[in-house]
Amino acid sequence: MLIQTMTSLGIPELIAQLIYALLVAFLCVNFIAVYAGVISVVERRVAAKMQSRVGPNRVGPQGSLQWLADGIKLILKEDLIPDGADHFLFKLAPFLMAMGVAGTFAVIPWGPANSAASDMNVGILYLISITSLVVIASLMAGWASNNKWSLIGGMRSAAMIVSYEIPVALGLLPAILIAGSLNMGDLVSAQGWAPWDWIAFNNPFALLGFLLFVTGSVAESNRTPFDLTEAESELVAGYATEYSGFRFAVYTLAEFANTWVVGAVCAAVFLGAGQLPPLLEGSIPLSVAVFVGKTMFMVFVLMWFRWTLPRFRIDQMMEFSWKYMLPLSLVAFLGQAVYFLWTWESEVARIMVSHLMVLVFLGLFFYFLSRTMVNFKHQAVAVNSYKTEIDYLERMGILKPVEAVVVAEEEEGKE
Amino acid sequence: MTPKRSSFGTYLNNLVNGVTSMFEGMSITLASMFFRAQTIQYPDVNIHSNEELVKDYKGNLRGMPANYRGMLHVDMEICTACMICMKACPIDCIAITNVKCDKRTFVGVGGKKAVQTRAATRFDIDLGKCMFCGLCSLPCPTGAIHHTTQFEFVPDNLEALVYKFVTPQEAQKAEARAKEIEVEEKAAKAAKAKAEAEAKPAEPQPENN
Repeated sequence: MLIQTMTSLGIPELIAQLIYALLVAFLCVNFIAVYAGVISVVERRVAAKMQSRVGPNRVGPQGSLQWLADGIKLILKEDLIPDGADHFLFKLAPFLMAMGVAGTFAVIPWGPANSAASDMNVGILYLISITSLVVIASLMAGWASNNKWSLIGGMRSAAMIVSYEIPVALGLLPAILIAGSLNMGDLVSAQGWAPWDWIAFNNPFALLGFLLFVTGSVAESNRTPFDLTEAESELVAGYATEYSGFRFAVYTLAEFANTWVVGAVCAAVFLGAGQLPPLLEGSIPLSVAVFVGKTMFMVFVLMWFRWTLPRFRIDQMMEFSWKYMLPLSLVAFLGQAVYFLWTWESEVARIMVSHLMVLVFLGLFFYFLSRTMVNFKHQAVAVNSYKTEIDYLERMGILKPVEAVVVAEEEEGKE
Repeated sequence: MTPKRSSFGTYLNNLVNGVTSMFEGMSITLASMFFRAQTIQYPDVNIHSNEELVKDYKGNLRGMPANYRGMLHVDMEICTACMICMKACPIDCIAITNVKCDKRTFVGVGGKKAVQTRAATRFDIDLGKCMFCGLCSLPCPTGAIHHTTQFEFVPDNLEALVYKFVTPQEAQKAEARAKEIEVEEKAAKAAKAKAEAEAKPAEPQPENN
């Protein structure tokens, strides 16, 4: 529509399309910046909640403006380039990393089917390949920094992302098989509003693919169970060691923006995107709200992983990828193909399996809730009821320590 | 690390273990999300008053722990000026001088009986040097020197960190009393010597008789 109005004003179509593309890109990049800032505060609050702390609560109501303060602080810092660094690569690397993340926003839908910025027919393939830019960026940063920690961090990052890219791509394959297309819009419209119409609950192999995709994506976005590239205890900050000021801010921005990418792809490909029940069909705001809700839930799950699971060691991480995730993703892919052949002609079997999957998942969910209740009771023991040197009644001020008694008059007579 | 056996059973076992332990771990972190924050918002609330703390704080902590080693305080009422704390101090931040005083017996904080024969004329603690190790309060026979839970005592200058527990007036009083006691004791000694001298010649007399 915008292109049409521009061409009617006498602007050549190519330039009009360029202006349109730049406008969309501008919106996306700004969305990334704001989202990354907000989610950094949310993540810190969630982490604090999980550790019975308060978290940032000084800037703005309940610390909601903390991200602005952090951003302003980082931008005002000096942009240092270490002596002996490769200036060009050093300066380029953070933006290449941000580009790899921002590039995925071209194919990520925003709710209803065909709501992505670009309706590519190889959307999923594009998504998997554009995230590989991150490998180059981290290697570049590691090499150009002229620093041991950076180099090790960069090498680790490259090794990790390359090895986890395979299970991620293979984990997406069951979904592609079910939809029969690489197009994001087709994948979304292959699903319905109800959980049993989602690809994740289509059959056990699709669910396995979904779990593998989530796990692999956590590794690909360098988040904590797999944060070996930025291992704070070993490598100061991995490939970001030498960075400061705005360039460092761009790294953090890319890292947090990646959570949206993972969440949105999960929601779009596996969790029914913004599909609405037949009665409400056609309402775009509601569809967007449903999609964003699902995405935010996945982002919360990523945070939950981060603050639950301990870190992997480097050899464990590689072992986990090559010995466990790769065979499992092959099982998911082949199993999906066999399942497809088996239920080729019986719609009833497919419906039964998907409904059974949802039932089993509900059962697991309630079991999980009961375990949560049990753990809540286990943890709800008052700190002061543990025996220490000092009686807790005394510590609480119910029991007073023995008072000093001055008995001087007793002996006075003798003097 | 478990010994590696290349069997398919161990492989599957590892998988099941990983999934179940993760399931349990996730439920634990979710449960702790529903707990109240244990953090006390320190400068905003008065940490020393439990009543004020309980108003908006819902955690399990109740103010400062009683065995917190904060600022030192000396209860001069029950101090016997025995100088044990001064000798125990590893960095010599306690300075005591003492003089004789009227003898008195009393029960200290720990329930132990104590006899006071000397009074302090100077009891200075340089909290600027103090490292809050608690070695002075441990051997104190009466529990006079003790740590309080107070930890906010930043003054403008270093001299203000030297806490003087005996005022000059009290010191003068104690010194004056010490002189009096000396005189009294001298008098008592003289009287005793006199009495002895009187008694000595009297004693042999019955023997002679």
